[in-house]
Amino acid sequence: MQHKMKKIQLLVLLSFAAVLSSFAQLHTVEGKVLNQQSNPLANANVFIKGTIDGSITDSLGYFRFTTSQQGEITLLVRLLGYADLTVQVPEKKLAGLVLKLRPDNITLDNVVVTAGNFRLKGNGQFGKMSAVDIVTTAGSTGDLYHSLRTLPGAQMVGESGKLFIRGGDSNETQTYIDEMHVLSPYTTTGDNIPVRGKYSPFMFEGINFSTGACSSEYAQGLSSVLALNTKDVSPITKIGVNASTVGMSGGGTQAFEKGSVSVNLDYQNLKPYYTLFPDRMNWIQPYSLFSGSSQIRFNPNQRTVFKTFIGYDRTTFIQQLTSSDNLTTRDFGMKNDNFYLNSTFQRTTESGYKIFAGAAFSFKNQHIDNAVIPADTYRDNEWEIHLKTKVTKRFTDFLRLNVGMENFTRHDETTYSYSSTVHSDSINHSIGALFATAIFNINPNLYAELSDRMEYTSINNLWNSNPRLALSYNLGGVHFSGIIGKYTQLPENKYLLLNKKLLDEQCIQYVGGVYYEKKDKVYRIETYYKTYRDLALQEPAVLNSEGYGHSKGVDVFFNDRALIKNFEYMLAYSFNLSKRKYQEYTELSTPQYATMHNASISIKYSIPAVKSILGITNRYASGRPYHDPTKDGVMNSTTGFYNSVDMSLTYLASKKVIIYASASNLLGRQNVYNYTYSADTNSPGGYRKTPVIDSSNHFFYIGIFITLSGKTAYDVSNF
Amino acid sequence: MKTIKSVLCVLFFMLSFVTSAQDLGPIVQNVNKATDVSGLIQVRSQLERFVMAQPQQWLAEYYLAYVDVQLSFRVPDKNEKSKYLSEAETSLNNLSALKETDKSEIYTLKGFRLYALIASDPQTNGPKYSGEIMNAYGTALGINPNNPRAVILSALFKNDMAKFMHQGYDNFQKDVDKAATLFANESKTVLTPTWGQNWVDYALNKK
Repeated sequence: MQHKMKKIQLLVLLSFAAVLSSFAQLHTVEGKVLNQQSNPLANANVFIKGTIDGSITDSLGYFRFTTSQQGEITLLVRLLGYADLTVQVPEKKLAGLVLKLRPDNITLDNVVVTAGNFRLKGNGQFGKMSAVDIVTTAGSTGDLYHSLRTLPGAQMVGESGKLFIRGGDSNETQTYIDEMHVLSPYTTTGDNIPVRGKYSPFMFEGINFSTGACSSEYAQGLSSVLALNTKDVSPITKIGVNASTVGMSGGGTQAFEKGSVSVNLDYQNLKPYYTLFPDRMNWIQPYSLFSGSSQIRFNPNQRTVFKTFIGYDRTTFIQQLTSSDNLTTRDFGMKNDNFYLNSTFQRTTESGYKIFAGAAFSFKNQHIDNAVIPADTYRDNEWEIHLKTKVTKRFTDFLRLNVGMENFTRHDETTYSYSSTVHSDSINHSIGALFATAIFNINPNLYAELSDRMEYTSINNLWNSNPRLALSYNLGGVHFSGIIGKYTQLPENKYLLLNKKLLDEQCIQYVGGVYYEKKDKVYRIETYYKTYRDLALQEPAVLNSEGYGHSKGVDVFFNDRALIKNFEYMLAYSFNLSKRKYQEYTELSTPQYATMHNASISIKYSIPAVKSILGITNRYASGRPYHDPTKDGVMNSTTGFYNSVDMSLTYLASKKVIIYASASNLLGRQNVYNYTYSADTNSPGGYRKTPVIDSSNHFFYIGIFITLSGKTAYDVSNF
Repeated sequence: MKTIKSVLCVLFFMLSFVTSAQDLGPIVQNVNKATDVSGLIQVRSQLERFVMAQPQQWLAEYYLAYVDVQLSFRVPDKNEKSKYLSEAETSLNNLSALKETDKSEIYTLKGFRLYALIASDPQTNGPKYSGEIMNAYGTALGINPNNPRAVILSALFKNDMAKFMHQGYDNFQKDVDKAATLFANESKTVLTPTWGQNWVDYALNKK
């Protein structure tokens, strides 16, 4: 018994000693944490993996702590903005450790400034402009595209409403929603009445506007791309209505734990507006638009997002037009139906692969009565299916890869009938492409992006390679960036329908810029040179691809949000020289839409005392070139300059009611965009000159937005 | 025999000491004591180690998010602020994946983070997140109407909004009193969130 007792005692003592010794034998782990340039890093968390033994580094990067762990240890170092570092340290080398951290992927991916890319930046957490920023910009009339025209690079083409970028035609700009192509992003309007974007800016979280040099994954845009991202989640259940001088709409969102469903209905009719403010047009049946859309989002887990957007709209109007030749009138009657479906899937795997797959279907059916002459009919039926998939992965600190492929299937059929004659043209074709981008973080300040896009266009049976190289260098916060790249695009359908052998139009862009951002101030200056070739050219007897041209210029931008409290202003200036021989321009000349100087100044002032945000924008553009047949040469004259002072006021009437008012062209200046000439029947050989002007000098918009549901406030309910 | 007992006792004591060193309690106490940036960074690192070692312990992740929000109020630099707020968001997302958490507390903290986001840039984020904030506090109170933190933070936010609209929030006093009572009766264990009393004091001083 005694013996046994002793044994137990010994055993207990031994284990006790073991525990004690583990306290007695404390090891000290000590060293320093540095960055790649060997500068000390403070506040790095250094600890033994799986335990709470550790400490943080001091301002000189030193750390020191004790541990009871025996043998080899696994150290983990964590610091915000840097990649986690794991190191095995043998028991004998616990002192004098030197641990170097590298910037993490997010930091690596975010530091990049690419020339030509305009990520609309608020100072919001994720650096993107919000819908509120857009609608409170005066002159935007709540429209995305109109507000983009206050940015440098965009040219003021008042009678169109579409985006004309850096001396390029409007069809050279493509719109993408969630990486998928949108065939017709604009509304349909009458003659010389500016179109608007179809989609409410409130749908989007990210608005990336590239004024040139876009990524290889975006197709068919010679001059620019507008990439819009819808919101990933909508956590709020809400419902609301709005009424305005142009119509009414209503909608809401039902949020679930893992997703949401939104619905919006919109009806616009300009009849009441024209009764109050008559314009210069002769409306038999004023413009009306009905549209309905729905968005479904589903996030089964943190790493996966499914999104589907469905939209339908129908536009109708009848406008009495007077032919300039013989003064006969006709009732131009428009019916336009559009359907758009966009479905995407995105997933980030555990191993860091970002996988994307999407499908989009665009459908447009247009029917015009009395289109060109009385009693004729024009129909246009167009659709597109876009399929796309891509994978992105950062392999090392040095390299990130983005590869993918996509396919567009397109159909367009136009039918023109007059009495018993029917003329019909149609095209069916596809565009297939493989694209790849390699992004190299050569060192923390130098970054290069090399990409290519191999594209096959079936209509003309041609392959195109679009290699691009971008370099970016950060010198103490001042970013320098340069890009050389090739872009291709099929000619407009109206030309393809007549000649299916036309080549893909080509543009080579050289862009260089300097960017600086500090404390609520943004400075950018960019210069570019673009050469165009293989443009569609309508020569007297033949339609060919012999067109060419160039465009060069400088864009300057300055934004200050912190000069005075609640006050923000933005300056943009663009200089452009553009010449082309293409389409109907049979001699090298400046196209009608291109202006040499464009400038805008926008201010926003929040006045908490009266719960309002006031916005004023002044836009200026130098005269537009036009062709005067009484003079020698082509495009031989210039209109007067364009100027418009616009104002908007957003007023929070109560926490559930927002009133928004905007007025364009306060000074009432009559801007002339062009002159058309027609044979004068009274004096043979003479011409009658008609100015192309706005349908009315002012446009007034007053809208009231009412939230009906309980919890939300200051929030427009659509999506 | 007696010796064995005493030895076992000592041994038990020693072992329990070893495990208690791994305990969250002292760290949580540090959270409530930390007032400046360096103190918060210190306790943040302790919480981070704890979370890495025991990812299933929701309270550690919860407090990590809370400390990140506190840091966002105290660091001057805008980029730093947004880094901490995005870290807090990650933690809050991780929390939604865990089971056996207090959802009312998590929604309150979500709202509190959005409040910090607005504080970091009221001009941009005010209109952007005010709806979401009301939604978060509303959900928190829906789950537990007697969550003192949700009661006081929601009252303060509603009051601020009403002021901004040049109106008054009628239930403000009632809510503040309710929160004060709830805080007074709250059991101060380290196993549940206990922060927020200072917001009641703030509300009382404000008047």
